[in-house]
Amino acid sequence: MDSFTVIILAIFLPFAAAIFIPLLEKFLKHRIGWFAAGIAFLSFALIGIVAPEIIHGHIIQHSIEWMPSIGAEFSIYADGLAMMIGFIASGIGVIIMSYSNGYMSHKEDLPRYYQYLLLFMGSMIGMVFAGNTLQLFIFWELTSITSFMLIGYWRDKPASIYGATKSLLLTAGGGLFMLAGFILLHTITGSYDIATILQNPAMIENIKAHPFFLITLILILIGAAAKSAQGPFYIWLPNAMEAPTPVSAFLHSATMVKAGIYLVARIHPIFSGTEAWFILVSGIGIFTMLLAGFLAFRQTDIKAILAYSTISQLAYMMTMYGYTSYHEPGLGVAAATFHLLNHATFKACLFLVAGIVAHEAATRDIRKLGGLRKDMPITFIIASIAALAMAGIPPLNGFLSKEMFYETSVEMGHILGGPFTFLIPAAAVLGGVFTFAYSIKLIDGIFLGEKHHDLLPEHIHEPPYTMLIPAAFLAGLVILFGLVPSIPIHNIIEPATAGIVLEEVHLHVKLWHGLTPALLMTVITFIAGLTIYTRYDSIAAWQDRFNVKYPRVSVNYYYDRIVDGAKGSAKGFANFAQPGSIKLYIYAILFLMVILFAIPAFMMATQVFPANLNFDIPLYEALILILMIIAAIAAATLHRYLAAVIALSAVGYFVSLVFIYLKAPDLALTQVLVETLSTIIFLLVIAKIPQTFKEKIPKTILARDLVISSAVAVTVLILLLNATQGIVSPFESLSYYFLENSVPLAGGHNVVNVILVDFRGYDTLGEISVLCLAALGVYNLIHSRGEGK
Amino acid sequence: MTTLITKTITKICIPLVILFSISLLLAGHNNPGGGFIGGVMFASVISLTYVVFGLKYIKSFFNPSWDKWFGFGLLLSSLTAFGAIVYGHNFFRSLIKFVEIPLYGEIELVSAALFDIGVYFVVIGTLLYIFKNVGEDE
Repeated sequence: MDSFTVIILAIFLPFAAAIFIPLLEKFLKHRIGWFAAGIAFLSFALIGIVAPEIIHGHIIQHSIEWMPSIGAEFSIYADGLAMMIGFIASGIGVIIMSYSNGYMSHKEDLPRYYQYLLLFMGSMIGMVFAGNTLQLFIFWELTSITSFMLIGYWRDKPASIYGATKSLLLTAGGGLFMLAGFILLHTITGSYDIATILQNPAMIENIKAHPFFLITLILILIGAAAKSAQGPFYIWLPNAMEAPTPVSAFLHSATMVKAGIYLVARIHPIFSGTEAWFILVSGIGIFTMLLAGFLAFRQTDIKAILAYSTISQLAYMMTMYGYTSYHEPGLGVAAATFHLLNHATFKACLFLVAGIVAHEAATRDIRKLGGLRKDMPITFIIASIAALAMAGIPPLNGFLSKEMFYETSVEMGHILGGPFTFLIPAAAVLGGVFTFAYSIKLIDGIFLGEKHHDLLPEHIHEPPYTMLIPAAFLAGLVILFGLVPSIPIHNIIEPATAGIVLEEVHLHVKLWHGLTPALLMTVITFIAGLTIYTRYDSIAAWQDRFNVKYPRVSVNYYYDRIVDGAKGSAKGFANFAQPGSIKLYIYAILFLMVILFAIPAFMMATQVFPANLNFDIPLYEALILILMIIAAIAAATLHRYLAAVIALSAVGYFVSLVFIYLKAPDLALTQVLVETLSTIIFLLVIAKIPQTFKEKIPKTILARDLVISSAVAVTVLILLLNATQGIVSPFESLSYYFLENSVPLAGGHNVVNVILVDFRGYDTLGEISVLCLAALGVYNLIHSRGEGK
Repeated sequence: MTTLITKTITKICIPLVILFSISLLLAGHNNPGGGFIGGVMFASVISLTYVVFGLKYIKSFFNPSWDKWFGFGLLLSSLTAFGAIVYGHNFFRSLIKFVEIPLYGEIELVSAALFDIGVYFVVIGTLLYIFKNVGEDE
C-alpha cells in the first residue's frame, strides 16, 4: 500500500465504520463504544504508518481527478502540520471514545453518539490532510455540522438546541467567508491546489503584491476566527458546553476548535511577513486572550471556566502565529505549534476530570464543589497535573510552551520597538496571570478547602477505570512532554513547524535555559497570579455587577437580537407569502399564468387569431368535444359534490379519448390513470363532508371568478391556436435530438420513457426525491395538526 | 360505494391490474408504459380496495409499510445512478447489454430499467402512504 492509500483509509475508515454502527450495536449492545475506539485507534495507526516518512522531511502529495470542470482535484497534502493534527484528532479520539464507555449511560442513544463522533473524526482528519482548498472547505463544514449534531445530542433540552444552533450559525457561517476567500485566492493564483501555491515562491510574492491581498486575508481569517472562537465569535463556545462532556473534551478543546488555528498555520507561508498579518492575527489573538481570560473569573460552571480558558489558550496560539516580521516571518510558529500540542493534552484531560466530577458529585457548580481531595485522591492528582500545566508550572509541558511564548513576545516587542518593546510582553504576561489565577481556582474550588456536606452527596468515590485511565494517560503525557521535551519536539513539532515555515527547523527546548527575560516574566506571572487569586471573588462580583448594569455591552446581546429579529422577519414574510387561503393561491397562480403566457404570445405571434384555421372536424371528434363541454359545465354547476366530482373526472376521461384519437397512447394511459387516482382521492375526502354545497355564493364573487376563468381560458385558447402556427420558436427544438438518439444511445424505442429514465434521469431522480419528501410532509402535516395551539 | 357489485368487480380486478402494472413497468422502454404509469396503476387498484372495502378491514390482513417501499425505490434509483461510478463511468451513465437466452432469443438488459423499477416503487410507496395517512386521519 502506498502512503496515499494509507491516508485515504485513515480518513474514510471512520466514515465507513459509522455506517455499520447501528448494525453492530445489535450484537455489541453498550460495548459499541469500544468498537468506535478501535476504529479511532486504526486511524491513528494508519497515520503512524506514514509518520516516519513525513518526519524525515518528505511531504506526501497525490491527487486523483474529482471535479475536472472547475480544476479541482481530490488531493492529499500530508506534511508535518497535517500529521500532528491528524495524530491529535485520532489519538484524542481513542481516549474520548474509551472514556465515553464509562461516562455515557447505557440508556442513551449510543449508536447515534458514536456515529457522530466517528463522522466528526473522519471529517477532521480529512480536513487536515486536504490538499485542495475546496476539499478543505467541505471537510471543514462537515466538522461544523457534526459538531452541531453533537452539541445538540440531547435533542429535547432547549439549551442544547440554542448552543447547537449558535455554533452552527457562527462556525459554518464563518466557513462561507473562508470559501469566498479561497475563491479570491483562486482568482489571484488560478489554482485551488494548496501544494501548488505553497511550493511556488513567485506565486506567493504575487499574492502579497495583489490588490485583493487584504480582502482575501480578512475573509479567510473570519472563517478561522469563527471556528476557533476568536474575537467577537467567541460566544458560541461557552454555549457549546451543553454537549456531553467527552464531546466538549474532544471537539471543543482538543480538535475542532483547533481547525481555525490549523487554517492560520496552513496559510501562514502565503500571508505572513506583512503588517496586515501581524495586526490582524496577533491583534485578534491578544484581544481575545485578555478578554476571555478575564471573563473566565465570573463563571461558576467548571465547564464554562474551561470553555473561556480554551478560548484564551487558542488566542495564545493565534497571537504567536501572528508574530511575524519581514526578516523572520515565522517568529512564533514553533512556540504556537508546541502550545497547540500541549494544550490538546492538558485541556482534554481537564475536561475529562470535569466529566468525572460531574458524574460522581452530580454537579459542576464550583460554588457547591470543594474538598473532594479525600474522596477522589487519584482524580485530584490528575486534575492538579493538568491544571498546573495550564498555569505554566515547571516541569510540566505548559511551562515550556509558555516560556517560548514569552521569549517570542520579547523578540516581537524588540522588532517593533518604541512602546511595543514593553507592551507586547506585558500583554503576554497579563494573559499568563489570568490563566494562572483560573487554573488555581479549578484546583482550589473543586478539590481543596472544606466539603459542603449539605450540597454534595455523602459518598463520593473514584470513577470506574474506563474513565480514570484515559484522563491519567493524558496527565502522563503532560509530564512526559515536560520532562523529556525532545520526544515531541523531534518527532512532531519540528516536522510540523517545517511544514509551516517551509524549511528545515531545529529546535532546542530545555527545562532550564538560564536566567532569561522569559524566566523573569514567568516569575512575575506567578507572583501577580497569586496576588490576583486572593481577589478572585471580588473581581468576579465586579464583573457580575457590570453585566447587570450594562447588559448591552455583550456580543451575546447582539447575537440574540439578530437571530430573534431574523426569526421575526421570517415569520412576517411567511404570513405575507402564505396567508393560508387556497383561493388566494389559485388566484396568484392563474394571474401569473395569464401574464406569463399571454404577453409572450402577443409579442411573438404574427396575428392573435390565425386566419387559416381548419374547421373541418370529423364527427366523432366533434362529439367528444361537445361531451367534454357539457361535462365541464356540469362540473361547475352541479350542487352535489359526488355528481360534480364525477362530471369533473368525465372531462378528464374525454381528454384521454382525444389523446387516443391523436395517437398518443402514453399520454392517454397516464391521463386515464391520474384521472382515476384523483377521483378516488376525491371520493375518499367527500365521504367525510356534507354531500351538498350549503352556503350561497354571492353574485360578486361568482362574477369575479367568471372573469378570472374566462381570462385563463382565452389565454390558453390563443396559446393553442398559435402553438402550431404563428409563433416561430427562437430555439431549435430538442425533440429531434431525442428522437434520433433514443435507440442508438439508450436502446429504447419509447422516447418518452427513455427521456424520463435516461436522458433526463437526473431530473427524474430529483422528482422522485421530492415525491418522497412530499409523502413525509403529508404525514407530518396530518400528525402535527393536533399539537401546538 | 360498498355495494356487492363494486366489491365483486374490485376483487376480480386486483390481480389483473397488478399484472398489467408490472407488464407496463417492464415494457416501458420500448412500448407505452414505464415506472411512473405502472406505479400509478398499482397504487390506484390498492387505493380502490381501500375505498371499497374500507381501510380498517384491508389493514387487518394486508398492511405493508408503504414508507419502506418508497425508501427502497429511492435507494434503488440512486444506487443505479451511483453504480456507473463503480464501473469507472460518470454519474448516471446508462448501460445496455444484449443477452442471448436459449430457446427464447435475444433480450435487452438496460441499467435504466433498474432505475425505472426504483421510480415504480417510489410512486407506489408515496401515493399509498399519503392515502393511508389521509384515510386514517379522523
